[in-house]
Amino acid sequence: MELMEMFKGRNIRPWRFLVQIGAVLFIIGQSYGLPPFGTYPIFRRIFLPNASCRYINDAPTSCYYYQVQDGFTTGFATNYVDVAIMLAVVVLLIILLGRFWCSWLCPFGLVQEGFEKLRELLGIPRYRLKWKQRILLRRVKYTIIFLTVLISIPIGISALGLTSCQSTFALPFCQVCPAKGFFLITQQIFGAEPWSNKLPLIAIASLVVFSVSAFFLPMAFCRICPMGGLMALFGRTSLPLLKKDPDKCTKCRICARVCPLDHDRVYEDMEKDDVGGEDCTLCGKCVEYCPEEGCLSINYGPFTLTSSKRPRTRNTFLGRFRKGGGDT
Amino acid sequence: MKEKRTSRYLKDKDGYFSEEQIDRTKKRSREMEEASRTRLTSQKVRAKTLTYFDEIMKYDGARSQELSDFQGKGGKIIGTMCVMVPLELINASGAKNVRLCSGYYEPVHPANELLGDAGLCPMVKSTLGSKMVNANPITNNINMVVGPATCDGKMKLAEILEDWVPVVMMNIPRVKIGETSSDIWVKEIEYLSRKLEEVTGKRISKRALVNEIKKWNRGHELWSKMLDIRRSKRPTISGQDAMLVVQASQMDDIERWNKKTSQLISELQDMQKKGMIAGEDGAARILLAGSPMMYPNFKIPAIVEESGGTIVHDELCSGFRLMSDPVMLDGITRKGIMRGLAERYFFPCTCPCFSPNDERIRRIKESIEAFGIEGVVFHTLRGCHLSNIEATKIELELRDIGIPMVKLESEYDEGDIEQVRTRVEAFIEMIKARRENEGI
Repeated sequence: MELMEMFKGRNIRPWRFLVQIGAVLFIIGQSYGLPPFGTYPIFRRIFLPNASCRYINDAPTSCYYYQVQDGFTTGFATNYVDVAIMLAVVVLLIILLGRFWCSWLCPFGLVQEGFEKLRELLGIPRYRLKWKQRILLRRVKYTIIFLTVLISIPIGISALGLTSCQSTFALPFCQVCPAKGFFLITQQIFGAEPWSNKLPLIAIASLVVFSVSAFFLPMAFCRICPMGGLMALFGRTSLPLLKKDPDKCTKCRICARVCPLDHDRVYEDMEKDDVGGEDCTLCGKCVEYCPEEGCLSINYGPFTLTSSKRPRTRNTFLGRFRKGGGDT
Repeated sequence: MKEKRTSRYLKDKDGYFSEEQIDRTKKRSREMEEASRTRLTSQKVRAKTLTYFDEIMKYDGARSQELSDFQGKGGKIIGTMCVMVPLELINASGAKNVRLCSGYYEPVHPANELLGDAGLCPMVKSTLGSKMVNANPITNNINMVVGPATCDGKMKLAEILEDWVPVVMMNIPRVKIGETSSDIWVKEIEYLSRKLEEVTGKRISKRALVNEIKKWNRGHELWSKMLDIRRSKRPTISGQDAMLVVQASQMDDIERWNKKTSQLISELQDMQKKGMIAGEDGAARILLAGSPMMYPNFKIPAIVEESGGTIVHDELCSGFRLMSDPVMLDGITRKGIMRGLAERYFFPCTCPCFSPNDERIRRIKESIEAFGIEGVVFHTLRGCHLSNIEATKIELELRDIGIPMVKLESEYDEGDIEQVRTRVEAFIEMIKARRENEGI
């Protein structure tokens, strides 16, 4: 009953939650003892532009970033053809689904939202980034991409004599990626992975840093995720778009306040109708909360998937807090 | 015992105004309110539920009795001076809110005597005068005043009122720039909540706050339904009545107001089905903008509606804007709720005291389209420099989209009625002539 109520009044969050659960089951379910969903070989050749970790046992597919690093290191002899083909497929996927990959399909995103929910239940206010910090974090993800390429390629070229570094520097990003640590440890807890497979110290450190920051700062990892960095570059060319009708905007700043990633272009921009951008993950929270009829909308190409509505009072447990409404 | 602070503005408070003057102020205020009420009730098409709202806004009516009873039981009454005061917070602390801004003409004179400033905003003077001579029973016995420092008049008014009643002044960042102004305003709201807790002796709990937000959001929802009725081709409520209803929300208990308003809405919808219409058929659709018009001062809307126009929308802080933006909560942390509350009262507000105020023009233009407005009546109170300055900008912007605007300056006085009427009649005539020309 409660569940049915959740879906009334065009709430985006419950739908997104269902999709996220589906994605998680598809990607990591089998390693936690669930029946395998995607063992078809075709999935094993496609790599996703989100943090679906390579270190999940028997995962049908994984994040492309592992493959990119691997390809950069090993692909010198083949002129990086494999990497190029894989990247082309990834770009195609990005253009098709845009940043739906992030907030709707990324298992690690769901983990972070879990952290956020926990904080909220404990009644601890979220940390708000300062302007400078936000700009800095925005640059960090491009720096990570740059450094990954800078390290991965030279260590694979034997002429440079750096191949001996491969044992230390192979897969540079995966070594510090908190997703690896998180999924390995949870697999160990659920018995899918032996405890003897110890995590290196750096992975544990990054996991600790991630846990603390994700607890206080919503979607902390998304702000520096290099996969997101690549997607941000295609933010304008991909088909799903966040649109705004500036005429209907009252500048109430709800969109900027509720945004988990502090994407303030939705609030600031009054000229263009396409208000997505490098920070937006298309989670639809602003569309859900916008109190103006038809002001914000999520579009797929020329089609409008959903648009904002005037709030209606609802009696649900979740709706009570979500829309701040509820019949008295 | 704490030493009573000496008055800074008025020495020898007792006996400064003669008994006779106080009585005269009260009597004239009562007469004025009665005249306004008769004007409202004499409209041909009027929903019956509106008598409830008449009663709430009545001079010395049942509501003022109710409030003094509430106070007698130890309840606190908080006066607000602006739309930017979060009423949810006041109600969550267990206190009741009363909007102080006064529309009575007569109390202007005592304030004039004290300040001697003929150019000052009459609404400020009237509010001050009502408090000085205790002219308005509904605002007589307030325990605290919350005064955001918006325009110069309101700011100094709050300072002067401190001689009579404790005042909490709130610093409004008048330049709206995202994060920084928001942080300042959130802190001010938190300061207000501490002050309210001091006065009522009750802690503002999260649950109470969420509850009040729910009630007020219900009010916003009802008000948007009301706007739908006014937006239709045949509105069944006149602009004056709609303004009366929404102003009553500032005086009434919100829960009861919600109940009565939903009753009113269903009555209005029934009337619509019967094919009734408020005002005359084919009346010019007018948007009212500018300075606030508090209840008995319904001079201009009455003139507009008597001379063949219907006010289908307004953008006044004494009208539409009171109930236009709901509070949307995304978290259940106390800080998150406070922030949501603060931002709702600050960012969508299009008071001319803010500096980048393009939203106002955008809002007016949007409502012109949505409500099918044919002309804008821009009203400024004498001495409302901020509105006056913006009027020029708005007029030019409206000229671009071909919407005529008339700017009226009014004083708290009945002397200018005929002059205003002549201008408004000519304006509405012009709109109707334009309509015919375009029809051909």
